[in-house]
Amino acid sequence: MKLLTIFSLLILFAGGVSATEDKYQFDTEAQQNLFFELSKELRCPKCQNQNLADSDAMIAADLKRKVHDLVKEGQSKEQVIAYMKQRYGDFVYYQPPVNSMTIWLWLLPALFVLSGLLWLLMNRKNTNADVKLDSAQQKKVDELLERDE
Amino acid sequence: MKKWLVFLLPLLAFGVLLIFLFQGLFSDPREHKSSLLEQPMPAFVLPDLMQPEREYTQDVFAGKVTLLNVWGVWCITCAIELPYLTQLQQEGKHIVGLYYDQDIDPDFGLKTVARVQQEVTQKLAQLGNPYAYNIFDVKRNLSLDLGVTGAPETFLIDQQGHIRLHHIGDLNPRVWRNKFEPVYQSLMGQPE
Repeated sequence: MKLLTIFSLLILFAGGVSATEDKYQFDTEAQQNLFFELSKELRCPKCQNQNLADSDAMIAADLKRKVHDLVKEGQSKEQVIAYMKQRYGDFVYYQPPVNSMTIWLWLLPALFVLSGLLWLLMNRKNTNADVKLDSAQQKKVDELLERDE
Repeated sequence: MKKWLVFLLPLLAFGVLLIFLFQGLFSDPREHKSSLLEQPMPAFVLPDLMQPEREYTQDVFAGKVTLLNVWGVWCITCAIELPYLTQLQQEGKHIVGLYYDQDIDPDFGLKTVARVQQEVTQKLAQLGNPYAYNIFDVKRNLSLDLGVTGAPETFLIDQQGHIRLHHIGDLNPRVWRNKFEPVYQSLMGQPE
């Protein structure tokens, strides 16, 4: 039984390995890795929540083919991304550039944490204030404490 | 004093979030500025769809205001906009087709060029032919350089061969009135 489980697991994993794309041929392994990296990080302009690797749209196939050609020509990752951005805009790359519009993506969470800290600091003062008791109140507190013991 | 602030601040933040999300309901996620606006047409050498021995380059757009329409017979929305494009052509607009095909591609289908030509002739006879001529984007390289994401899409190209508008989706009377007409009229030098 145990052997059967291991065996079926092995078959399962073997299937996963052989399912990689061998449609695109590369001269070196580095180029192939760059291609896979780029097709994960570039976004399909038609089906917007998928990357090139996931998408079956015609445009994704075209872009993948272009990435393949550019990588094979020996272009670097930055060059391929710049090529795509020039045609499809910043939108095509999942990592947004920092500019006056997108800076809020980083600033807002920081501001949020900062304001939370500030609020905490301001409230701590109130709880630290000394409590003043007159003699009658003090006596009552002592009584209550004793009764507890 | 502090107490109402504690209540008011989250309410305010909620209000801002509400406005932000409400706006999102009416925004089109596919609407993003083409990075090719005001740029010259990318360089290309491509054949005519009907007479493959004839070749076009980016220079064919010089001297005329052109509507470059990306289309294909396989595209349903293109069939819907064809009659309206024909109407625009009859009003005197110069419309050029950029034929965006997937069937020649072994990944998507197997068709001969002759078969595609036959289908195009049939389609245009049926729904109207707005095109002065069709540029056959064989491997969709020009489309890629233009930032085309699919069909239909339409570009407005000025007399200098610069891209002035890029519209994703069908061209209908509303889109023409709101988006194309003001730019087109100013290019033709006859503001209405």
